[in-house]
Amino acid sequence: MTAVLQLTSITKSYGGVRALDSLSLEVAPGEVLGVIGPNGAGKSTLIGVIGGALTPNSGSVTFDGRDISKLSSADRARMGIGRTYQIPRPFTRMTVADNVRLAATNSGHHISQRELEPFVGGILDRLGLAPFAHETAGKLPLLRRKRLELARALALKPRVLLLDEIGAGLVRAETDELITIIQSLRTEVESMVLIEHVMDVISRCCDRTAVLDFGKLVTVDETPKVLADPVVASLYLGSIADSAEPTPFDEDKRAGIRASLTSLVSVAKPVSDAPLLAVDDVWVRYGGLNALKGVSFDVQPGECIALLGANGAGKTTMARALAGAVPLTSGTISFAGKSIAGLRPDEVTALGVAQCMEGRKIFGTLSIEENLIAGGLDARKHVKAERLEAVYSIFPILKQRRKNSGTALSGGQQQMLAIGRALMSAPTLVVFDEISLGLSPIAVDEVYEALGAIRDSGVAMIIVEQSVERALALADRAMVLSQGEITLEGMPSELLADARLLSSYLG
Amino acid sequence: MKNGMSVLLSRIATPTRVGRRDFIIVAALAAIAFVVPYVAGTYQQEVGFRILQLGALAAAWNIAAGYTGLVSLGSAAFFGLGVYTMALASNAGLPIVLCMILAAVVAGLFALIVSPALFRLRGLYFTVGTLALAEALRIFVVNSPWFGGQAGIFLTARAPKAFELYWIALAIAVLVIVCVLVLLRSRWSYRMQAVRDDEDVASQLGVRTYRTKLWAFGLSGALIAIVGSVQALNQGIVQPNGGFGISWTIEIVSVAIIGGMGTKVGPWIGAVFIVLLGEFLIQFPEIHMAVVGVVLVLVIRFMPNGIWGTFTLALQKERNFS
Repeated sequence: MTAVLQLTSITKSYGGVRALDSLSLEVAPGEVLGVIGPNGAGKSTLIGVIGGALTPNSGSVTFDGRDISKLSSADRARMGIGRTYQIPRPFTRMTVADNVRLAATNSGHHISQRELEPFVGGILDRLGLAPFAHETAGKLPLLRRKRLELARALALKPRVLLLDEIGAGLVRAETDELITIIQSLRTEVESMVLIEHVMDVISRCCDRTAVLDFGKLVTVDETPKVLADPVVASLYLGSIADSAEPTPFDEDKRAGIRASLTSLVSVAKPVSDAPLLAVDDVWVRYGGLNALKGVSFDVQPGECIALLGANGAGKTTMARALAGAVPLTSGTISFAGKSIAGLRPDEVTALGVAQCMEGRKIFGTLSIEENLIAGGLDARKHVKAERLEAVYSIFPILKQRRKNSGTALSGGQQQMLAIGRALMSAPTLVVFDEISLGLSPIAVDEVYEALGAIRDSGVAMIIVEQSVERALALADRAMVLSQGEITLEGMPSELLADARLLSSYLG
Repeated sequence: MKNGMSVLLSRIATPTRVGRRDFIIVAALAAIAFVVPYVAGTYQQEVGFRILQLGALAAAWNIAAGYTGLVSLGSAAFFGLGVYTMALASNAGLPIVLCMILAAVVAGLFALIVSPALFRLRGLYFTVGTLALAEALRIFVVNSPWFGGQAGIFLTARAPKAFELYWIALAIAVLVIVCVLVLLRSRWSYRMQAVRDDEDVASQLGVRTYRTKLWAFGLSGALIAIVGSVQALNQGIVQPNGGFGISWTIEIVSVAIIGGMGTKVGPWIGAVFIVLLGEFLIQFPEIHMAVVGVVLVLVIRFMPNGIWGTFTLALQKERNFS
């Protein structure tokens, strides 16, 4: 049986960095191939090369026995190669339905005006986007944008589907739903290539799995064999691998980090019994929709709160409200006894509330060092230098590459940069929004190790997370938001003990 | 650089659906406009001509800039091609209508010839490229021996009367509007917007981006050239600085921005506004351009979607809340 898709010794370099290094890979008919590997291993580059967005320096791509290396991405799409982007790129000013219509009318298949509407409607329905069909795509939150990516790719009626991390940031029930969708696609699409960090998706959908590292193929084999491979465990899976032994903590390293942190965070001295942060009956309304409906909670000095909830529950809105980035419709937020409602984001930061935003938001045109400095512009020069050194001692990799562009880092390193940047303002409270999103399991381990040290330094934290177990392991107290209200609150141990209760709230 | 362009483009409102109703409204307005010469004097007809001329130019420019994201400052090149094609062709004895069609063809061919170089540039670089192109064409016309140099070419055809010019301009305006409406109804509308919003993604979804840009740019240029060909008739003499002058480019952009880029109605609102403002300030030529400039700055600052874009957005909000 000939391969549907065949890559022959593909090399792709960016500047001096080889993202793909003479990689050869085959996708068989009827196969779902998983691709895993550390952040920066070249997985997204691989999809770019197959889809035609990127031209490799050498090597060839064959589709159905035909060399397509020279074809434009439009022609490849018309031949039946559909792809999604890891960071969704909808046409933001077109409606959701128009986004899908565009793909449907430009695929290699002719579709008459009469067939178009039912076809588009069917795809939107299937992905749960029908209620938003007439909204402009720019208004969709991240997760629905991801669905729109998939919807557009499906509208091409592709023979091969390339999916780049569409499972990132989903809670359990949503992941199950996604897996059902992918499994149902097997009968419609000849083959699929899935890049994924969500191991459930890989283990339940993929026949074979390829592991990439530094642009090279480490191994490709049947999925269960690959996931049991000790090499893969040490390279990629980290603590979630069955075979993994708990890595002993390096006490010296920890002590060093703790020392560095003392110059980075301001530990609030509890002056009275008053909480550090008091959120009281906060409502936020966007357009016609209530994103938050009377949320109230407190954060004590040095306390670590986990804020959990399904997608669309209002977690990111809460984080943005704390940052001063969205106006409150009603209610008050006070920090250290002072109301911060109505303040600009920079004023909020100046008071000591730092944000580590969803999606990392690294400045691509600035170097790593400049990105860090941007996090603490108000400080005096020598204080800035001191804090910079402290961040570097927590994340030595940032120092090594400090002159590089902020986005030249792997995903995990970018997340470290985002954490470091948040610390540069010497905050009393840090809000971490979706910190593990899109990271390889081993990178999540690293990031959470840093978070643990930061918590121990005495700074107050709010962790907004999809990765429930990780967040609960760290938090002193946890809250679950659903549909804009806090519906469950308690100690992590209580929540963990009643997994059913938790999952019913998380949907 | 890319950011600057996306800021400019983000000001474009999403076009609304085009239905049969739009065509009926256009037909009704055209019928009303048609009777103007019977009831109004020469002065009103001249003002009407200016409005129709500028409106058609801005609406044609909008096809490339507003809907497809090809923000061109090379309109003067297409306009001048129209002007000179009319002069040369009508002096050669061709009928006027054929001259106009020829102007469109010449402009379309010109777009085809320059596209391989121009479309390598994106965003602001494209914009700067078109500006250079128009200027290069003007200098070429001045220096080459075939186009009468700085002195220009006299038209031998009979100068049309004011009402004739008005009706010609009206017919062209209707042509431009119908082109825009048909385009917005067709599948090209999605393609153009997709290319404007994210060219790479559009390509990944099967859109042949080069072809899409060429159609939009060529059609836009051809329509601008037709308007230019009428301007030759209006003037009776064509000169490089009049035909290829950058003032046309600036006027077109001002009209479109003030009215509302990427909207059907905006260019026409902008044209009415600019022409009437000009007539109002006719006693004060020294401050006329300064006032237009101030208005432009104020609109960009306070009504980034232009007069029409702001109006429709406000209407939408009203509807959402009621």
